[in-house]
Amino acid sequence: MYVFDSLDKSLLNQRVAEFRDQVRRRLDGELTEDQFKPLRLMNGLYLQLHAYMLRVAIPYGALSSDQMRKLAYIAEKYDRGYGHFTTRQNIQYNWIELSTAPDLLYDLSEIDLHAIQTSGNCIRNVTADPYAGAAADELDDPRVWSEIVRQWSTFHPEFSFLPRKFKIAVTGSDADRAAIKFHDIGLKIIRNDAGELGFEVYVGGGQGRTPIVAPLIKSFLPTKDLLRYLDAVLRVYNRHGRRDNIYKARIKILVQSMGAETFASQVDAEFDLLDPSLLAVDDGEVDRIRDMFALPYLRPDEIAGSRLEEALSESPQMRLWSESNTHNHKTPGYAIVTISLKPIGGVPGDATAEQMYAIADLADRFSLGEVRVTYTQNLVLPHVRQADLFVLWRELERLGLATPNVGLATDIIACPGLDYCSLANARSIPISQRISERFADLESQHDIGPLDIRVSGCINACGHHHAGHIGILGVDKKGEERYQLTLGGQGNGESAVGKIVGPGFDEDGIVDAVETVISTYLSVRSAGELFSQTLERTGHAPFKEQLYDRG
Amino acid sequence: MTVVNIQGEVLDQIWRDFDAASDSNSLDSSIANLVDLSGHIEKLDEQSLSRVGVRLTVDDDAKEIADHAKHLGLIDLVFPQFKDGRPFSTAVTIRRDYGFTGDLRASGDILPDQALFLVRCGFSSIVVPPQFSVEQFKVSLGAYSVAYQPAADGGVNLVQDLRAAAVEVAAE
Repeated sequence: MYVFDSLDKSLLNQRVAEFRDQVRRRLDGELTEDQFKPLRLMNGLYLQLHAYMLRVAIPYGALSSDQMRKLAYIAEKYDRGYGHFTTRQNIQYNWIELSTAPDLLYDLSEIDLHAIQTSGNCIRNVTADPYAGAAADELDDPRVWSEIVRQWSTFHPEFSFLPRKFKIAVTGSDADRAAIKFHDIGLKIIRNDAGELGFEVYVGGGQGRTPIVAPLIKSFLPTKDLLRYLDAVLRVYNRHGRRDNIYKARIKILVQSMGAETFASQVDAEFDLLDPSLLAVDDGEVDRIRDMFALPYLRPDEIAGSRLEEALSESPQMRLWSESNTHNHKTPGYAIVTISLKPIGGVPGDATAEQMYAIADLADRFSLGEVRVTYTQNLVLPHVRQADLFVLWRELERLGLATPNVGLATDIIACPGLDYCSLANARSIPISQRISERFADLESQHDIGPLDIRVSGCINACGHHHAGHIGILGVDKKGEERYQLTLGGQGNGESAVGKIVGPGFDEDGIVDAVETVISTYLSVRSAGELFSQTLERTGHAPFKEQLYDRG
Repeated sequence: MTVVNIQGEVLDQIWRDFDAASDSNSLDSSIANLVDLSGHIEKLDEQSLSRVGVRLTVDDDAKEIADHAKHLGLIDLVFPQFKDGRPFSTAVTIRRDYGFTGDLRASGDILPDQALFLVRCGFSSIVVPPQFSVEQFKVSLGAYSVAYQPAADGGVNLVQDLRAAAVEVAAE
């Protein structure tokens, strides 16, 4: 884990002091709400429908067990005993008092956590593969490069007032678990023919009302040039991005209007003007950061797998969980475990303080004290011995955290929606809860197979509905909540934007429609064909027919 | 109008707005004139340019002063709204690519909390908006002692330099 040195800490402490002064000025009436708004937004503090909401950054989704305990403590002390893990690997608290927010940030800073750049038109918290440092298919640890980007982007003097928010994601694997092509900048770690490490750079992806899969603008960027190149991209965007229309202000619109090639050549021209040494990524610094992420030696255990098979054959329940909630680790004898925060009928991504404390303890016992947050709103224990899986599963069962549905129909991504968010047009949480209840049967979920259902309560698409196999978008139609259905999105590995199937549905209708889509898939699929493959083969036609032509 | 330098100290005002309509003074007089970007500077020699300041809005193309920038006494970049961050990048370009070493001034809608960012992008003076106090700018300019990014200036220590120095000390 990256641990702050005295320099990281002094910056953070100075931020806490600055924010305390800003809040004092607001409470004393020295600042109007209009003047205070941009300041609180630079600290992740939003005024929502019912209260202030604070978004805490979890850099690249990686937490230590002590940090998780602190998040639990914050939920208890400052909120109503729970927190909400978000689609950007962060956590949000929904019931915050302005007057105690400075104390909250102070408490967070004691353990290197903060809310810096979790809102505002700046470079947001960098996201990365939640299996970083553990996945068998990883070329290099994306956290190393994410941390370098985190430092460079923190309080960037030139890029803190961009046309719009700016999101960067990093992956080190082909199986892109960070959805990098749906980001303003997506970085994929690769090796060139000479064996040197570098990046493929994708720019101008995003969701919202104009969903776009980012084009590749640099096929090999040497690692030492990473910051120099990012600097050039951001300067071109800051200079030319649209500021007249909030809906056309993201970099994706600029890249589309210029054309990816022209945009890339402008970036290259800006890159050439920059002194190469000024922003060169320093080898010593890379080593310093890399050392902090290094794992202790894990002894490979070649026979643990077969022992596990024996245990699984005696426990069908654990087998279900193991199939959906564990993933290959790079070291034989170890597994990556995903803890589902999607209990049947629950609120996607919510965790109580008790659960967070318990997960922190499990991380210490079973996973070298590490926890990750996924953008699919689940938690991960990245380094679990296969020999410990049975005990861990039993503990998770006891805590109500062993729902065996990761990647399946009830592992639904949903934004907070109209229950909390002041931007929303419709509720998302109740829709996801009803779908979850409809498909509660675990055996049948496993029979349906990998299925990605995502719900957004407005066109800003925080629920990533464009990238779901089945996407649901809540809209307001003459004062009524309506739900549009899209099919064919892809958010993992391959990236694709789903297409709207037909007219929208009301609340009851959309739940039925999802069931119709799934039953249609089950009736037309060939043996072994996944939902996404069937859809690709048949197109929308059979689904449309069942959804709209029967009556 | 109050102008502060990068320490938050109030500067004497020598620059005055040049008004072509009512002013009989030509630009090369002994007075320091601040002009809008409108072709005034084309005909002037280097010495006269040092008594000329140019004001650029976000709609102006800074390239137009690229050839003259070195000789100008002042460049004033106007923020139409505090959240319009274009002048930050323009400042970097003017300092780095046009070789401007004179007074680079920020004016318009600016928050005190942006002051250190301005300085780190190469601004050397700030016009304090009437609704804020000089004291607020001073506090904000001193809010941070370190920074992660190499920048034009700013009187803050760079994290990368301090880390490198620590490595050297450890090696000794």
